Amino acid sequence: MTATQADVPDVPYFDLADPSFDVTSELVHAARDESWYVHTPYGLAVLRYNEVGALLKDRRLRQGSAAWPAHNGIHSGLFTDWWNDVLMNLEGEDHHRIRRLLNPAFSPKVINAMVPQFQALAEELVDAFVDEGRCEFVSQFAEPYSARILCILLGLPESEWQQISTWAVDLGLSLGVTFAQDLDKIHAALEGLYGYCNELIADRRDNPRDDLTTRLVQASRDEDRLTETELAVSLVFLIFAGMDTTRNQLGLALQTFLRHPDQWAKLAERPDLGRAAVEEVMRVNPTITWITREALEPFTFQGLEIEQGQTIQLFSHSAGTDPSAMADTTFDIEGDRASHMGFGGGVHHCLGHFVARTDMSVALPLLARRLRDPRADGPGEWLPMSGNTGPVRFPITFTPGA
Amino acid sequence: MRVIVDRALCDDHGQCEIAAPNVFRIGVDGKLEYDERPDPSERDAIEEAADACPLQAILVQE
Ligand code: HEM
Ligand code: SF4
Repeated sequence: MTATQADVPDVPYFDLADPSFDVTSELVHAARDESWYVHTPYGLAVLRYNEVGALLKDRRLRQGSAAWPAHNGIHSGLFTDWWNDVLMNLEGEDHHRIRRLLNPAFSPKVINAMVPQFQALAEELVDAFVDEGRCEFVSQFAEPYSARILCILLGLPESEWQQISTWAVDLGLSLGVTFAQDLDKIHAALEGLYGYCNELIADRRDNPRDDLTTRLVQASRDEDRLTETELAVSLVFLIFAGMDTTRNQLGLALQTFLRHPDQWAKLAERPDLGRAAVEEVMRVNPTITWITREALEPFTFQGLEIEQGQTIQLFSHSAGTDPSAMADTTFDIEGDRASHMGFGGGVHHCLGHFVARTDMSVALPLLARRLRDPRADGPGEWLPMSGNTGPVRFPITFTPGA
Repeated sequence: MRVIVDRALCDDHGQCEIAAPNVFRIGVDGKLEYDERPDPSERDAIEEAADACPLQAILVQE
């Protein structure tokens, strides 16, 4: 499946398996000028805006994450059973049926009604550290914010966020390079989350409330409903898909604004730019830096023959900063830029994007107002600038604002 | 009832087709095709499609 540099001398080769590989590096930009794709140990990588956009939505490809456990030598067990059934790894009518049942709980009307709660949460978290003029942004804001948003959404007691977050972090190890070694921990987290979600489902059946869990328990369409198993699989997946992503994306947002202090100051004065700020951050600094697809059938694309089973990595940062797609690629929250690929696209387009867009567009202007002139306080600790990226620790200093 | 999709916004994700397959479809060229005057029985499905569209490009008129 994977070609080597020797096989195809004209097309560059990126060693995506190398943890020091940086998807935002000059190497990638230079390759993008040369070729719309490159070879990697994980299949082809696509670098340009138009090709990434087209392949994201191309129905001759499936979401490519399903094969991930097998690529890591894991073929059975609790994790694979769950992974095979989650929305992202279903295709065709199996996928559409679950998506139709989940969709209404994520409508903009439902999510917009939660804005006051998101605001109150952000203020509360900032109040706890703002007077000190310094904080560790991940543990003091990004992580509790994203975890408690999930609690608000699903209707869980916010006091339980730490337990949920710990499970989500452990389950997230399944996406890393040490997946096979971490399997026991991953299975323990999955069991914890399943137990928790099963209780939650049973409770909402007896005591319906105004929350997403109740909406999913009651969801029906054309006489169809989610089974008990589908409900539990979906709830666990929502926690998995929604927590680390939002935490990482918020950290990356702050990183971007540290490089553009004038725009942070502008955002403080203009909270109405919150939405645009989220879009612009996700264009230049997306947390999911490659979105994976796999060819369902052989086909030819831009003159290149794609084999059945070919894995294709769609590079979101490279696409979002492609000069052939927009006249100006510089970061500008008031600029007119092409839309980003940070939430993927096509039938698998992120289900939770209204939640993420809404909670981040509440948080960013509020942070800009209260954390003036932020500066990095040491190097912090960062995930590799590849795969799913973001800060692990991000200490900053700032001038407290009102 | 009339359905209008803002073509300037629409990015051909096809989420509308998942929600209301009798009204919206992605053609072989990958572009959205849709029925502007659908049967009234499709109303609920169309509302769901309008909600689910990532670009909020679907407008339903009486
Ligand atoms: C900033 C935060 C987030 C980012 C960057 C993000 C990004 C993504 C990406 C890239 C995909 C894959 C799309 C594709 O293959 O084309 C995805 C899928 C998904 N996301 Fe998100 N996401 C975020 C937040 C959330 C939240 C908060 C939830 C739920 C509460 C969520 C639920 C899902 C689900 C269920 C899928 C699978 C959709 C499907 O296969 O139909 N995400 N997300
Ligand atoms: S869901 Fe929205 S963006 Fe996607 S094809 Fe339908 S109208 Fe266009």
